[in-house]
Amino acid sequence: MDLIINLVERTGAKALAWWSSIYSVLSFLGEAFATLAMPATWNRATLDTIIKQIYFTAVQILHVYLIYVVVISWVIISITLSTARNVGLFDQATEMIIRVLVLELLPFLTALLIALRSGSAINTEVALMKVYNELDALAHCKVEPMRFEFLPRIAGGVASVLGLTIMGGVLTLLLAYLSIYGLSASGLYPFATTIASVFNMKVLLGLAVKCGFFGLAVTALPIAAGLETPKKPFMVPVSVLRGMMRVFLALVLIEVLSLALKYI
Amino acid sequence: MFADAKALAGAIQDISAETAACVSPDLPLRANLSARENIALIPLYQKSRGVAEATQLAQALLDKLGYATIGDKRDPDMTPAERFVAKIARALILNRQRLIIERPGAMLYDIPYPAFLHELSKRIDEGPARWEVFDFEWNKILYS
Repeated sequence: MDLIINLVERTGAKALAWWSSIYSVLSFLGEAFATLAMPATWNRATLDTIIKQIYFTAVQILHVYLIYVVVISWVIISITLSTARNVGLFDQATEMIIRVLVLELLPFLTALLIALRSGSAINTEVALMKVYNELDALAHCKVEPMRFEFLPRIAGGVASVLGLTIMGGVLTLLLAYLSIYGLSASGLYPFATTIASVFNMKVLLGLAVKCGFFGLAVTALPIAAGLETPKKPFMVPVSVLRGMMRVFLALVLIEVLSLALKYI
Repeated sequence: MFADAKALAGAIQDISAETAACVSPDLPLRANLSARENIALIPLYQKSRGVAEATQLAQALLDKLGYATIGDKRDPDMTPAERFVAKIARALILNRQRLIIERPGAMLYDIPYPAFLHELSKRIDEGPARWEVFDFEWNKILYS
């Protein structure tokens, strides 16, 4: 009997902890969107901080990201072309590359890169700010942490995922063209026709929404995890661990949902 | 005000953040910003001033306090006295009715702080009329 009671208690405690985490993330997002909608938020100082965040999140890693995209894209394009040639579907190769690489794999890998580089840093910084009372000090000075610290990171994260994905996508299309047609201009018309047939308005909107959710996941979840950190320095690594696990689960969930909505 | 730890904590809790600017060991500077940026945050966000103007105001306050050279330093690079001056400047720029200095000995542990506080307060001719110090009862003798 004790064993069953213990099991029920433990399950209940875990369910409550999960609910409390989900609630805190949702209430944080609600507050962020409410602040975003306030005209007072959009002043020069906030815009400057957003630009600074985009610089730290996207511009600083641009060269690494582009090399990473070239390597991944080149490998996957080569595999796709070789397989398509073997099974007699070479005509469909361009569409396959766009659907698999540009629409699915690149946005996911971009979000993963930003999560590993910036998401973990954001989580650690917010947790340290919480532990060392820096957030209380800002509140005492009536500088809202949401406007000064959190919202610029979220906006910067969303813009960075979107911007890097677009750049990566364009570079991948260029590599795909070169791999299929070489330097000849003869393939421009069929290649452009395939691109136009895949990238209709619905697909573009879906890609933008997915990138937006990826951007939210890699910034808002680490911030929310940092804010949950108890005021004890030894809890900072635990906070980062929890935050990054949530980011990973959220990224997988967004990708699976997007695939399910498109193909099932 | 001089009191024991419990009474001091109670008195500080009763202080309204609307009317008093606090300088406290529990209200640190933002670690990734310089002293000048920490001070400039207030006019920038609270009073919607431009970046250049807010930075100028912050530097002018540091100049007035006699610590013009700490503008570019971040919290970990400052001495306790420099850090304290940056906090004082941040509190002064809030322009509230009272300036509360809480447990100064915890922030200025390597200098004779009552004399230092007196010296600093003489350099400021505007802002809160009175600097109020909240310290432990057993440190009262240091002020005499």
